[in-house]
Amino acid sequence: MQLAAPVFAAAAEETTPGDPMYPILPHLGELIFGIVVFAALYLFVAKRIVPRLEAMYAERRAAIEGNVEKAERAQAEAAAALDEYKAQLAEARTEANRIREEARQQGAAIVVELREQAQAESDRITTAARQQIEAERTQATAQLRQEVGRLATDLASRIVGESLQDSARQSGVVDRFLADLERDEAQGVSTR
Amino acid sequence: MSLGLLAAAGGEEGFTAPGSPDFWQPLFGTSGALAVTRPAIVLVISAVIIMVVLSVATRRLSIVPGKGQMLTEATYGLVRNSIARDIIGSKDFLRFVPLLFSCFTLILLNNLFGIIPFFQYPTMARIAFPLVLALVIFVVYHYLGIKRRGLGGYLGSLLPPGLPGWIKPLVFVLELITYFITRPVTLALRLFGNMFAGHLLLLLFITGGEYMLLHSGSLGLQIFSIPTFGMGVVMTVFELLVEFLQAYIFTLLAALYIAGSLADEH
Amino acid sequence: MEGNIAILGYGLSAIGPGIGVGLIFAAYINGVARQPEARGMLQTIAFLGFALTEALAIFGLALAFVFR
Repeated sequence: MQLAAPVFAAAAEETTPGDPMYPILPHLGELIFGIVVFAALYLFVAKRIVPRLEAMYAERRAAIEGNVEKAERAQAEAAAALDEYKAQLAEARTEANRIREEARQQGAAIVVELREQAQAESDRITTAARQQIEAERTQATAQLRQEVGRLATDLASRIVGESLQDSARQSGVVDRFLADLERDEAQGVSTR
Repeated sequence: MSLGLLAAAGGEEGFTAPGSPDFWQPLFGTSGALAVTRPAIVLVISAVIIMVVLSVATRRLSIVPGKGQMLTEATYGLVRNSIARDIIGSKDFLRFVPLLFSCFTLILLNNLFGIIPFFQYPTMARIAFPLVLALVIFVVYHYLGIKRRGLGGYLGSLLPPGLPGWIKPLVFVLELITYFITRPVTLALRLFGNMFAGHLLLLLFITGGEYMLLHSGSLGLQIFSIPTFGMGVVMTVFELLVEFLQAYIFTLLAALYIAGSLADEH
Repeated sequence: MEGNIAILGYGLSAIGPGIGVGLIFAAYINGVARQPEARGMLQTIAFLGFALTEALAIFGLALAFVFR
């Protein structure tokens, strides 16, 4: 058993570099190769590969963020359109309600007006009919009185045998008679 | 079990178990300190492969990834998001992503070379390469700590706050050892040890199975070579897991150490 | 029987860290099972503890190659 004295640092100066008996002693040639190759690889990766990949990463992130932004914008637009549509719908609904209400009111007004008109018309007709009837009755009464007077005079002249026609009192007699008749009749009615 | 039988049967005739000399394979120059060895060549090839693959895969990057880009991105995303961002914190992790990413890819590919046919040499089973990586991490996290607090402040920050006075020197020495010796040494040796031992195990099963099948001359051992080869296959799959795990752990620990130097409190 | 007793030393040095790493990851799994949202924080701590614990076994491995 023996101790391999300088393990790492001065190993290259040993008489048997890379001695197969001591695999943990580094071989100088391989050390140099290792440093050179690693330095070359590091420079290549740092200067060429990583910038490319990072640029791609940044681009991808931007693309994803852009897509997200676009989607958000579309969503906002859709929401705005929906709001607008809803507002329009609500407006149309109030408008329709208003129109319906108006129409109802107008209809009611028309009905009232028509009813009033009809009432007035019927009143008018009734009044007119009543007046006509009254007039006809008055006329009939007057005519009847004249007729009855003439008939009674005729009858009386025939009975008395003399013409009383041009007598000045003639009409007064008849009228008196008729007034008596009416009075009697009225009394009869009242007593009855 | 197969090992015991093997030792019993082939002890005399000359089955030599694989050992650390199997990893010493100089290609140009015989055995000097500057001999170009097989792992050095493998390392260069791996670095070239990584550069070519990455530059081809990232030549036309699209926002919606294709197949090749997906794989690159998965690897890069693992290092960038799961390791660097989660551990170092989202403020300044981007500075260290190239370091961690090149560490991760280099270790991963070199580890995988341990079981990829024609290469079949885990580069990290030579201590020099893990040592280089560990030294880089070592220098980086000490540099960051000293730059942030100054030398005295950095050494003072090694001490956890709220300790009673008499224990402070002891803890300080322990922390000093942890920061300056344990961390880099274990960082390098963990990777080295796992790759070395794993590859040695594979070598043992494959060469042992081959010896039993072709050179032992006994029927029992020839039959027994089948489960030995089977075990070799199982260990190869296990190695695949270990190779990935070691690359991950190395990168994770490097990020942890860097994060420790950047953090406000100890 | 020939061999190197240093390898035995490595075997011994691997016992403690083996148990320790097992305990650390048992605690980590427990923690994650109880509070899955704490996973990130626990993972950091678990791997730090794992690295510290495994250091002992790695020292054993290194020394097994140093003394022979």
